[in-house]
Amino acid sequence: MSQSRNQPSARAVPADLVDEKIVIAYYMAALTFITISMLAGLLVALQLVRWNPFNGAELLSPGRWRMIHTNAIAYGFLANAFLGTLHWAVPRLTFHKVASKALSWFIFYAWQVIVLATAAGIVIGPTLQDQPWVMELAKQTHLPMGLGAQGLEWGETPFWIDPVALLGLLLVAVNFMVPIGRSKGPMYVTLWYFMAAFVWTFLTYAMGNLLPEYAVAGTSAGAIGGLFIHDLVGLFVTPLGWGLMYYFVPILLKKPIWSHGLSLVGFWGLAFFYPLQGIHHFLYTPIPMFLQYGAVISTIAVELVVATVVINFFGTLGSKGYDQFVNNLPIRYFYTGMVFYFITCFQCALQVTLTFQKLIHFTDWVVGHAHLVMFGVFSLWLFGIMIYLFPRLLGRPWYSQKLLTYHYWLSAGGLFVMFLDLTLAGVFQGWYWASLQPWDASTNGSTPFWIVRVFAGLAMFGGLLCFLYNLWMTAKGAESVDESPALAAAAT
Amino acid sequence: MSDARTSDVRGTASSRRKTWITIAMAVLILIPSLYGFAGKFIEFVHIYRGTGGGEFAVAPILNYLLASAGFFCMLLWAAWNGMFRDVEQPKIDFLENERLLDRRGPAA
Ligand code: HEM
Repeated sequence: MSQSRNQPSARAVPADLVDEKIVIAYYMAALTFITISMLAGLLVALQLVRWNPFNGAELLSPGRWRMIHTNAIAYGFLANAFLGTLHWAVPRLTFHKVASKALSWFIFYAWQVIVLATAAGIVIGPTLQDQPWVMELAKQTHLPMGLGAQGLEWGETPFWIDPVALLGLLLVAVNFMVPIGRSKGPMYVTLWYFMAAFVWTFLTYAMGNLLPEYAVAGTSAGAIGGLFIHDLVGLFVTPLGWGLMYYFVPILLKKPIWSHGLSLVGFWGLAFFYPLQGIHHFLYTPIPMFLQYGAVISTIAVELVVATVVINFFGTLGSKGYDQFVNNLPIRYFYTGMVFYFITCFQCALQVTLTFQKLIHFTDWVVGHAHLVMFGVFSLWLFGIMIYLFPRLLGRPWYSQKLLTYHYWLSAGGLFVMFLDLTLAGVFQGWYWASLQPWDASTNGSTPFWIVRVFAGLAMFGGLLCFLYNLWMTAKGAESVDESPALAAAAT
Repeated sequence: MSDARTSDVRGTASSRRKTWITIAMAVLILIPSLYGFAGKFIEFVHIYRGTGGGEFAVAPILNYLLASAGFFCMLLWAAWNGMFRDVEQPKIDFLENERLLDRRGPAA
């Protein structure tokens, strides 16, 4: 094949292109936070069936630990795992190192401090802010909020952390944009997604954390809140997730993506249609109807964009896909995530209609949807990536393929049960409320579903424990216990 | 006229035809779209002036317009710099580059 503009010679590539240590460090942080988050999820789930072992302990109350659960996932697990993977993928895609290794490590530590400070703010902030000396100080300095959480889901980060987090996001953008800026020739789709994510994440974080706090109030702030939470999924998690899939799937299948042109249609479609949809979380609210209809229409447009992505990935898998799905473990994670992605988007198509909203709004349907997309799609993708990368980073094969398979089945199976269970619970709750039964009737009717959720959560947590033990043994250099090397070979 | 020159002339003629067709199609698509957009925009300004709800819509719409304006400029920049000229080539280059890196060692 002829040398194209984008192919530097081997000599031009720096020897220490990827800082492997930082990738490992980010993955360790991510795995720590997902462990904490799942434990918090279990705590809240137990509370909802009145089995909470810490009933009455204020600092462990579900009101606080629900926020720990969601924040530890978004900023502790997803952000850390993405950042680690970006440190692998960006230098390899651009043939240039990140702007500064020292900056990378600074961001790594700063980010952990931000996540931990957020957790501390959420847990002890409300208690601290009631102290007379804190109240006095707040009065003197005209502080806008208490020390605890801000009142916006996923924007709970206490207000004093927001500027630091924004600075962190800016530094992340600079660190990765320098190598991207230095690369030559037409860019591969992954880099388009990454570039957009750096800009969008910063803007989305600023919008959600600053505007409702300082500038807009009331329903208007509600609309901004809708944009924020949706954009966090669509403009931070989605572009990084899709970008990484466009990177890892061709590598693992050893063939190029089916259509690069179609992938670019998906990218630009996301860029132009996604930012308008946030208000679809607030159908039937006092927000003017023409804005609500606008959100519905742009959601339909995004459905088409998503269809291009799904078609592209299944087109790439091709006719021998089933073999790959069975024998190549990371591919199995990736494509399971894609099937879940398709289900999520199919749900969106229903959810965005006003008729459907009438039934499911505020019910557990939405919680099921959130777990499907956050765990079923993005977390499974990230686990698939880790399964591929850890042997390369640690320089040895996985200790046990069987444990990896257990992790897969417990995670995907547990999640699927949780999703079906909460979806059904949502429909029941919707009908209870629509038929104007007493509130107690709806909570009593939900209890069996909530019990099933506890067991589904335990399965997912069991899967995580398999993964952690496997990683520990692999890192320790324990001899592999695999009888069949087939999966192991496919995974590395 | 030599064969090479004949095919050159034919090539130029066909690329000129392609350009004209592209321009005609663009005009055909853009004029009604711009008309529709402008109409909606005027309607929006009237709502903004005339109702409480209209004022409310400004924040999210401005947000959107700002974000999209940036991306629109980026799209123009990308097209201008030939990012879409050989649209399938990057997927081949990227895999070649990965192979090159893998030959050098596990991470780099
Ligand atoms: C051990 C497994 C888990 C259990 C038992 C669990 C349980 C829960 C519970 C009880 C809630 C609160 C629901 C409510 O307020 O009614 C919740 C919310 C949530 N969880 Fe989990 N969870 C688990 C794992 C995860 C994972 C791994 C993720 C993401 C990767 C996740 C993402 C979320 C999100 C985004 C919400 C907010 C949903 C919303 O506001 O609609 N959870 N979870």
